[in-house]
Amino acid sequence: MAEVFNWQLNRMMQYPYEESRPIRQAAAIFDTNKCIGCQTCTLACKTCWTSGNGQEYMLWNNVETKPWGSYPLAWDVRELELLGPQHWDGDTYGGKTIFEAAPQGERNIAWKPTDMDYSYPNRGEDEVNVTLTSKRYHLKLPHDMWFFYLPRVCNHCTYAACLQGCPRQSIYKRPEDGIVLLDQERCRGYRVCFEACPYKKVFYNHTTRVSEKCVFCFPAVEQGIQPRCMRNCIGKIRSFGFLSRPGEEREDNPIDFLVHIRKVGKPLYPQFGLEPNVYYIPPIHVDSNAFLTMLFGPGCLDSIEAYKKAMNGEDNELLAVLLLAVSTDQIIHRFQLKGQTVEAWNEKGDKVVSMPLKVPTVERTPYDPDLNVYRYNIT
Amino acid sequence: MVASSSAISRRTMIGGAVAGAGSLALAGCATDENDATGLHMFRVGRTPDDPNADVWGLAQPFEIDLGPQDMALPMRLDPAVTTVRVRALHDGTTMGFLMEWTDEDTNDLSVRVDEYRDACAVMIAEGTPGDAARTMGGADLPVNLLHWKADWQRDVDQGRQGLDAAYPNRAVDVYPPLFDVAPADVDIDAYVEHGATNWLPGVHAGNPISVGSRTSPVEKLVAFGFSTTTHLPTQNAGGAGMRTSTGWKVCLTRPLAAVDERELSVLPGASFTSAFTVWSGGGRDVGSRKAPSRTVHVVTVAP
Ligand code: SF4
Ligand code: SF4
Repeated sequence: MAEVFNWQLNRMMQYPYEESRPIRQAAAIFDTNKCIGCQTCTLACKTCWTSGNGQEYMLWNNVETKPWGSYPLAWDVRELELLGPQHWDGDTYGGKTIFEAAPQGERNIAWKPTDMDYSYPNRGEDEVNVTLTSKRYHLKLPHDMWFFYLPRVCNHCTYAACLQGCPRQSIYKRPEDGIVLLDQERCRGYRVCFEACPYKKVFYNHTTRVSEKCVFCFPAVEQGIQPRCMRNCIGKIRSFGFLSRPGEEREDNPIDFLVHIRKVGKPLYPQFGLEPNVYYIPPIHVDSNAFLTMLFGPGCLDSIEAYKKAMNGEDNELLAVLLLAVSTDQIIHRFQLKGQTVEAWNEKGDKVVSMPLKVPTVERTPYDPDLNVYRYNIT
Repeated sequence: MVASSSAISRRTMIGGAVAGAGSLALAGCATDENDATGLHMFRVGRTPDDPNADVWGLAQPFEIDLGPQDMALPMRLDPAVTTVRVRALHDGTTMGFLMEWTDEDTNDLSVRVDEYRDACAVMIAEGTPGDAARTMGGADLPVNLLHWKADWQRDVDQGRQGLDAAYPNRAVDVYPPLFDVAPADVDIDAYVEHGATNWLPGVHAGNPISVGSRTSPVEKLVAFGFSTTTHLPTQNAGGAGMRTSTGWKVCLTRPLAAVDERELSVLPGASFTSAFTVWSGGGRDVGSRKAPSRTVHVVTVAP
């Protein structure tokens, strides 16, 4: 076991391989406050990558409703149970990671789903946190009850559990962008990876009898285009780009800005120890700090405060970066706020976005004499 | 103890110079019966592909203890199968092994995510029993494997097993881009016929695990240490497995002469090192989760 630094845990931890970070890490930030659970992302991925025979149950992208939803069934609860008690000492994780908690003869703790666990992809959809029979609820703010959508893809982890679990080294992390890929020629279907990944984002193909996983649409990414699930997001919740190595962050890189500068993007279950690279802006309306901290780590409450400031007009720069989400198909490498306009550039230096923070409102007269119609929508 | 074949220089022959190397007590002096350290490969008129062939009765059986796999992660510390009975014979051209073990459950599918196959393997290695045979070979010490898989056996017997075997009542609208094929008729062959194998990544990549039709349930492999098991280009291993009332009876055959690079030739009258392994699918055995023989055995080959 090597000792590696996991910045999300703020400590060294054990991992089978030496620390070897990619030049830059393909990463995404999902704003849970804006997700409407439309599953367009799921379909964008499904129709592109997993519509083949043997891939029926595969959802490289899925959207589950928290607190009750999960796919496969109760994946996170079962992993957390195996992990045992977890605690944070301030910003530092004091519990064990899935690697440090490995039983004898194994590389990590691992919940091993059966095929029945994959039978309910929409379990818990739109269910709120409390039973509605216990009390009368009237519409009011802040909410008495809550749920939120949690879209999930492979996290292309810095310390990928799938990768270290594979006894054949069929899984590799690309040094140029940190995308984790599973070699379709080398895999022999041992499925140690699907057991090892605590996020359960490796899937076994019934027909080819080898495993598959999200490829972060690498052929598009190589051409400077965002993955399909990101580009198609109806709620415009998804920011995709490259995260710099720790200590090399750039303030004008939207991903670095959200994760390292404003620190609004938080990892999902950082206590697993994988340093996942899909980050979440936690929901602002959930009244359980303990639940949020369990999901997104101890910094999530500060993240919510920072996010509220942007929404209240007290942090235009953060607002500007959030507005860049799904504003272009191109991968944004640099942004700048000029007055009330946010501009963004791709890797080649072409300006790909120029957008006002506030879209001007135009009011039209209700009656259109040219068409001789009355308009219902006049703004 | 290695002599190069003049025809194919990088193939390796086991035997020949063995006695000169003096590293094996049994080298070059094949006995005609099993002893405590090894088993004898008997000479017969023709090596059968049938585990029930009478000729196996001519080969003396050898009981081999299987143990935990506790050398490489992930391990199998409590093996489901603890003994295997092995017989070996050759006819001057082809060698064969018969492996019999007890395993009450039949696991001959690996279609569902939690379905693991029963399997067995013979390792053929040069070197002394203490050499890299226990570690699946080494950088300069390739080992060859004959690997029988129960799911491959079912593929051979009944045709490639797919979704029908696991989910006969499934309903699917369409499998793009095979819009003119009824979903129930879509299989690997349909994708191949339509030039659409990129919808089946393992097939498209030429993965031997994914091929649509098989003629043999036994795969021929080479390894150079843990994690390196590699499918050999010429798949000329044969054999068959069948259920008995208590478990499996499997024969695995291969030509004595090597064909591929880094494949090992076996010479009549010489000896080689071997190991035997059994996987129990019911216990989720797969890959390194297995029950290997506790010691490595010398096989003396009848002249
Ligand atoms: S989320 Fe799972 S599949 Fe994706 S890189 Fe991390 S460990 Fe591997
Ligand atoms: S497309 Fe966007 S808004 Fe719709 S479910 Fe996916 S992440 Fe949420």
